[in-house]
Amino acid sequence: MAVDIEFDSSWLDGFFQKIEDDGPWGNWDLYKLAIEVEKHTVIEDFEGLQAPKHLPNLTPLPHQIEVAKQVIENMNGKAILADEVGLGKTIEAGLILKEYMIRGLVKKVLILVPASLVSQWASELTSKFYIPAVAQKKSYVWEQCDVVVSSIDTAKRNPHRDIIFGLDYDLIIIDEAHKLKNNKTKNYEFVQSLKKKFCLLLTATPIQNRISEIFNLVSLLKPGHLGNETVFYEKYKRDSRSLNDDQHLKELVNKVMIRNRRADTGIEWTERHVETIPIQFSAGEKALYDAVSELRSEDNWMATSAFSVMTLQREACSSREAVFVTLKNMLNKKEDPSPYFQAQIESLIEKVQAVQMNSKAEKALELIKKIDDKVIIFTEYRATQLYLQWFLKQNGITSVPFRGGFKRGKKDWMRELFQKHAQVLIATEAGGEGINLQFCHHIINFDLPWNPMRLEQRIGRVHRLGQEQDVHIYNFATKDTVEEHVLKLLHEKIALFEKVIGDLDDILTKLEFGNFEDYLVDIFGHSTSEGEMRIKMDNLNSMIQLAEEIKESESSAAAGNSSIS
Amino acid sequence: MQQQEIHQFLENYFQANGCEIVENEKGYMTVQLTIELDKELMNRPFYWHYLEKTGGIPNPMKLTFITDQNAAPEEIKGEVIHFGSPRLHQIFESTKNLAGYIRLYEKQSLSYGQQVSLRPWLGMNLKISYQCDRKRDVFKSIGLQLINGQVVENFHERLLELQLTPKIPDYSFTLSPLIMPKSGVMRIENLLRNEIEVEDHNWAMEARERWQKDLQLLEHFYEEAEEKGESYENEKKALQEQYEPKVKITIVNGGLFYLTEKAV
Repeated sequence: MAVDIEFDSSWLDGFFQKIEDDGPWGNWDLYKLAIEVEKHTVIEDFEGLQAPKHLPNLTPLPHQIEVAKQVIENMNGKAILADEVGLGKTIEAGLILKEYMIRGLVKKVLILVPASLVSQWASELTSKFYIPAVAQKKSYVWEQCDVVVSSIDTAKRNPHRDIIFGLDYDLIIIDEAHKLKNNKTKNYEFVQSLKKKFCLLLTATPIQNRISEIFNLVSLLKPGHLGNETVFYEKYKRDSRSLNDDQHLKELVNKVMIRNRRADTGIEWTERHVETIPIQFSAGEKALYDAVSELRSEDNWMATSAFSVMTLQREACSSREAVFVTLKNMLNKKEDPSPYFQAQIESLIEKVQAVQMNSKAEKALELIKKIDDKVIIFTEYRATQLYLQWFLKQNGITSVPFRGGFKRGKKDWMRELFQKHAQVLIATEAGGEGINLQFCHHIINFDLPWNPMRLEQRIGRVHRLGQEQDVHIYNFATKDTVEEHVLKLLHEKIALFEKVIGDLDDILTKLEFGNFEDYLVDIFGHSTSEGEMRIKMDNLNSMIQLAEEIKESESSAAAGNSSIS
Repeated sequence: MQQQEIHQFLENYFQANGCEIVENEKGYMTVQLTIELDKELMNRPFYWHYLEKTGGIPNPMKLTFITDQNAAPEEIKGEVIHFGSPRLHQIFESTKNLAGYIRLYEKQSLSYGQQVSLRPWLGMNLKISYQCDRKRDVFKSIGLQLINGQVVENFHERLLELQLTPKIPDYSFTLSPLIMPKSGVMRIENLLRNEIEVEDHNWAMEARERWQKDLQLLEHFYEEAEEKGESYENEKKALQEQYEPKVKITIVNGGLFYLTEKAV
């Protein structure tokens, strides 16, 4: 069979020139070296991965190597990478990219990621993979650099858009690709119009949902793989969630998608030990909490701001400082406050001032001393964070603060300080992505976020690949407060803390009831009686259980086929 | 390449380029660059431009490479070099750039006052890449005698056994080629083309099948669209770039060799 053969003639001109000019000729030793180099860099097989040989400082896990091999050898370089959170999709993408670059199949690369991850991607590719990736900051970068990382939001806007369309990319990588599930959005349209020779879509929460989302995502990668729109929707109902019912569709999707589950990786995960630490209010704290709770019976309060009351209640469980800051803000923000409102706030502030001690902080101190090791304390409130810093210092415990808003450099610096010089890290947020604290294995949840995913992210900073010890999680819950109720729900009913991220992910998306937090606000904020609250909690419980059952039956049905959920 | 081979390679490279190796210990080496190599490797054109304008004293850099972190003393600071490090690949590239063309003569040790005739050979080292959505390479070294057209494979290996010098040795003279270098190159090209054409190209057939399959899917996807539009054309072009099987022949280096009759 005829195959096109290209003979590169660029060498010839130089050769004839040298003959004509009688030199200058190269050095025999260098000439021999050049051939040695060539023999070392020639790759004699279509199959197999070269990348690991080039990456002495990276030890990819077996499942990551397997994914890279699969994508290159069986999926022709177009794939959705959908591993569960924390299994290292970035590493997989890096391996594939590196392999193609070594083999000379890919030169020009466009990497589209959320804005907050741009510099992290660039630095990981540079430091772990020795790929000179550049974060797009100036317009000339598009043309001058071969591997560019940018956010979709930047890339889709002019002048960037036109420049990008004028360039020939060999590989396009898109992180958080599940955001492209809607084919009516500008981002979808933008990605669709890109020419995709090789393409990787990375997503952690793939397609448990609507079948239309699968269709859109796969069609982006490989148009026609699932048929055209009309035929597809004739066959599968638009809103159906029956991906698993249809063996054929499932197989089709599996041809372009790889999903590793935590359990499949064969990696030993360390255990999580969860302990609830009940906290007893002091008299002053109790008085403050009760006073705040009484606002619920005030009509004008509940009508306008059930949410504020909830917030105050939760804050009262954290620290008087947190309550104080919110009260001040409420007063400042209110236009033309009535004397009654002012008096109310002032009386509450008096209650704040009457609080003498923080029972939780005392308990935390006792616990930290007992643990006698690195501890991370998570709190929802800046004011509590500041107070704890002061409080620990008073008691001779070294601590560093950590906030999601810190710049990358500061985050790394704080992490380093914590690792080398301080016993405690006090964090207000999971600190966003990419900050890994595996060297620590004790977490105190000083107060609880009402969003289970946020809670999971907190734990995920510590309980992740690379954690070698069991992780201890201490949940503080003040008795007879809304906090105790929430913890009970999260802990006992959803068994949240025992779960690993992937499971929770799946369950929450299955529930499809939107914002978990809103449910909690509704239950605890809008219930007029204990009875109503209990009924609503039970409802939520049974929904969660239902979702879990669906999931379980799916995973047993999917046994033997691990690549899709 | 093992770390030790890398060490040896660096040593050879810098020596071949006339750099002084200031320190050469187990696990690391320090090299004083020449002006030429500083320009080649250090990527600082402004510095050199400035020096040339002002007539200052050139101060090429000194580099330390660590080829084995375990063997090198801890206090040594330098660039860690391994098979994947960008610096090594830069030096690889530079090696190829600096040694693209060569002309050498065989030195006969046993030629007491006797005239020795040297025959002209064209030697070419090539890389043949078989490329679709995957790729594999084959290295070839071919020699063509420019008088009688004799072709020799693994030419480079044979050269390694000979004593070669850049200047024509005493008592030696070269025979004139009957085949000009230009047509010599064409002969080698044709030879390779003929060889490649009769090879088994299953890989290409399979790639075409994959291509065809995806193309059909694409057609089906746009079947009902009245105007297929730019995306369609884009995708179609992308598929071609992804799968179209091709063989690429690139020349690594080569040159003229004047060898005795019994050399090859």
